Amino acid sequence: MAAASVYQGAGFDFTNTVRNTFLEQRGLPLPKATSTGTTIVGCLFKDGIVLGADTRATEGPIVADKNCEKIHFISESIRCCGAGTAADTEFTTALIASNMEMHALSTGRKPRVVTAMTMLKQMLFRYQGQIGAALVLGGVDATGPQLFTIHPHGSTDKLPYVTMGSGSLAAMAVFEAGWKPNMERQEALDLVTAAISAGIFNDLGSGSNVDACIITADKTEMLRNHVRPNERVEKERKYTFRRGTTAFKSESVKHLIVEETITPTGEAMDIS
Amino acid sequence: MDNSLRLVPASKSKSASVQDTSNSFGLHDTLAHGPRSLAAEVHTVSPIKDRLENWEATQDNLKLNLERNVYGLHAPVRKLMERNLVSWNPHMPTYRSSNIHLDILMGRDETIEPADFMTPSGDLTIPLSVHADMQKRRGM
Repeated sequence: MAAASVYQGAGFDFTNTVRNTFLEQRGLPLPKATSTGTTIVGCLFKDGIVLGADTRATEGPIVADKNCEKIHFISESIRCCGAGTAADTEFTTALIASNMEMHALSTGRKPRVVTAMTMLKQMLFRYQGQIGAALVLGGVDATGPQLFTIHPHGSTDKLPYVTMGSGSLAAMAVFEAGWKPNMERQEALDLVTAAISAGIFNDLGSGSNVDACIITADKTEMLRNHVRPNERVEKERKYTFRRGTTAFKSESVKHLIVEETITPTGEAMDIS
Repeated sequence: MDNSLRLVPASKSKSASVQDTSNSFGLHDTLAHGPRSLAAEVHTVSPIKDRLENWEATQDNLKLNLERNVYGLHAPVRKLMERNLVSWNPHMPTYRSSNIHLDILMGRDETIEPADFMTPSGDLTIPLSVHADMQKRRGM
């Protein structure tokens, strides 16, 4: 008797790949990759980490969501900003959050940021960039504040200030000009806000509001919509027309309710 | 067990052509070789498919080989034997069942992976013929 495979398999269904590659060889154009836009940043300060993100979600040229959340939960004092395919970042961070929780339960300690980073890079490397998740991972653990970026193919960086997404160049310019070691909390938050704002105003793929997350050893503070620079104002002109704007030549009103009158005919019934 | 120390699955190249089955006109000879199938004709398969499906096996093979080099042949043999023992499942062959002993031996009892919750639809459907599956499993 052949033993069943002890391996788990990929968990994905590849039944349509043969058909799709055949159609592709026949010249059927396949969907093109949609470029994604985001600005996410993170920087170190004296007691911890500040993460920042814009809140625009795009579908090519369309703004799909004006106020989405890009700072994802990993554990109590670890958060992860996601750029790239929104579903992939959401799924990846949720899966790693579950794995981190199980790891914490098994070891009985607060999870470390490097653990999450290693899990993320190993997972992304396995999928060869097919999972489009570019992440900024930050948190505070027993070894102090830690900040990483993880690229979709699984490479990682460890830097004192990092940016990701299409607005990363604008945000990095702000960091390069303004970052210095051992900043105060408010100073760091202002710098992150300035960096995200640079992305919001100079990159078409980023926009709307600034989200921030301040992680220190004892507290994690999520500042949802910390700055709202693009509040929607009331329209200058109204486009509703006054009643009677359009002239009309004739008017006919049809009564749809049928009225009937009953006329008694013949003799009345003898009911005596 | 293969002796290589590969970290990631090798990308297999798939080659297919109707050259072997063509007749004198250079076309596929259906009478001699049966109908053409798409699966046999496409040249490329998704590289990510092979990689994902062989990922665990390749990594496990690496670990077993390293154990063999460090501790001697008995280490992987013992490991494979233990796995073989716990992976024997006397229950109905057609339904999915969990095997915590195997999960512990494979080191995946404290992790969650896409395979744990995203089963391809083909594996989930309940097969119609339990008898046929039983016969296949028991080698009858």
